[in-house]
Amino acid sequence: MPDSMSISVNGQSQVPPGFRFHPTEEELLQYYLKKKVSNQSIDLDVIRDVDLNKLEPWDIQERCKIGTTPQNDWYFFSHKDKKYPTGTRTNRATAAGFWKATGRDKVIYSNSKRIGMRKTLVFYKGRAPHGLKSDWIMHEYRLDDNTITTTNDIIITNNIHGENNSPEEGWVVCRIFKKKNHHQKSSVDHQSTSSPVVNTVLMESTEEMTVFDSSSIGDEGALEQIFQYMGKTGTTCKEEDAGTENDTNDDTNDNSKNCRFLPINNDTTTSSLFLKLPSLESPNSSQNGYHQPINNNNNNGDIISPNFGFMNNHHQMMLDSNLMIISNWATLDRLVACQLNGQTDQASMDYCTDNNQNHHHHMQVPPVTTTTVRSSSSSNKPQAEYNNEIGLWSSTFAKSSSSSLLPSEPICHVSNASL
Amino acid sequence: MGDNNNNDNNVNLPPGFRFYPTDEELVVHFLHRKVSLLPCHPDVIPDLELYPYDPWELDGKALGEDNKWYFYSRKTQNRVTRNGYWKALGIEESVNNNTTYKKVGTKKYFVFYVGDLPNNNNNNSSSPAIKTNWIMHEFHLSDSASASTSSTRSSSKRRSSNKIDYSKWVLCRVYERDEDDDGTELSCLDEVFLSLDDLDEISLPN
Repeated sequence: MPDSMSISVNGQSQVPPGFRFHPTEEELLQYYLKKKVSNQSIDLDVIRDVDLNKLEPWDIQERCKIGTTPQNDWYFFSHKDKKYPTGTRTNRATAAGFWKATGRDKVIYSNSKRIGMRKTLVFYKGRAPHGLKSDWIMHEYRLDDNTITTTNDIIITNNIHGENNSPEEGWVVCRIFKKKNHHQKSSVDHQSTSSPVVNTVLMESTEEMTVFDSSSIGDEGALEQIFQYMGKTGTTCKEEDAGTENDTNDDTNDNSKNCRFLPINNDTTTSSLFLKLPSLESPNSSQNGYHQPINNNNNNGDIISPNFGFMNNHHQMMLDSNLMIISNWATLDRLVACQLNGQTDQASMDYCTDNNQNHHHHMQVPPVTTTTVRSSSSSNKPQAEYNNEIGLWSSTFAKSSSSSLLPSEPICHVSNASL
Repeated sequence: MGDNNNNDNNVNLPPGFRFYPTDEELVVHFLHRKVSLLPCHPDVIPDLELYPYDPWELDGKALGEDNKWYFYSRKTQNRVTRNGYWKALGIEESVNNNTTYKKVGTKKYFVFYVGDLPNNNNNNSSSPAIKTNWIMHEFHLSDSASASTSSTRSSSKRRSSNKIDYSKWVLCRVYERDEDDDGTELSCLDEVFLSLDDLDEISLPN
């Protein structure tokens, strides 16, 4: 490493012309973030500390510029603090908007050894339920705990973390950049592709997903085609029912949705749970059932335009009846997530079926890890309404697990990624 | 690869710094100084004279960084290498100063073909050349930018004679085209999830 470095980065740059700070993910984690968390001095102040709550992306751009040459991306350290003492989420709201996580975390490898994770976030202008998606993207890199503790040359004197070194706290290194839009334009042409292709792709990706836990993901190739079918993206953050979002400073995920964030147990108990669930009469529905959220959204209108073509008449009928109960996509999504997380207890169902009236109550529902299906009900809600849904989704999962696949590709990815 | 070149030229930068020049930098900092016989510091870009190397041979000879290779060459009409030739795409872009927008140079695009140059000889015994994914950007100083150097006036007159002009340099950037080679771009998977976010917030516990 350069010990005699005398380059002043901020202020007058001595970086020779043509050279830019363009670190690999491995360099970010192995060199810069490791030094940061272990309080080692870094020769050059190329990566500055940023309080993510205080700076907007366009301010970060100014603060984190290196030298005077034009940049396409900007790097900084950020210290993550838990938003709530009891919660696990990070407060990433700024004065003008908020950073919202998207997708699943990506595992970062160094010499085929796992060293950390990358989270992708999008900046939304405005406040949580009504945020307007911007083109600002952040990649947030964190070290694996075991990376920190098992590496010999790093001495942990981590008085910032204390003994709690969870991924939701401590130093991370971030890169922000502005998204280009050429992908979205080019994908519009592929909307009308027939469904079997898409089906195959989804199945492949779910297979990949089942081995996520053994940290062998990384090939995103199987999913690349999905994007081709996604069509154009909307630009606004989907509105929630007004009542579900009381905390205006929230970054869109509030406690009321805790039920959605339980990590999936990638073990046999989860599978057996799915297997035990009652199945629906129609074999077709179990085959295609988990694509319904997309179609459902399509019915609702405007956000994803391509029709995936999975819908047969039977599903249409089912959905039409469900739509009477499930007021919007968000509700249905919650239902799916609850199911995925092994939660089929009454509270979640209530939440799903009537979030307009009961959400305050159910916001208090702690993360439930029940792995058995409770058929008894203490609810005052008409049971017939959601039984329909349970049957529908359960049969989907039963089918999926029996073919050694986990259901509902994107959501399951997300759930797994939170592990 | 390029790291070797960097070390040879004592570019002693912390991890993460790489040669990612803008077009303007290539023209102003490197090509212009080369033509003007001003010292380039650090002198990282080697001079490979004419186009003797096939693009896949450039590794270790040209300055390589992020699967792009940089080298100086001499201006010529026939850009022939051992196994093929560079064919002009007919695209020319002007390279402008970042702040004044004044034109400082020209960027020409070439694509590499494996095989013999068509109409090279009266023989057409050879099979037709095969197009590859190798792309070259060839940077030229614009007339105004090179007017300050004395040698360029006469050379521009000789250019029409279809002869190699040794007095004038170009700077080349060669790379193999790849659809998703931009490190700052989102992966396709990220795009999928961004799209899904519009359905609702399918997100992680942060």
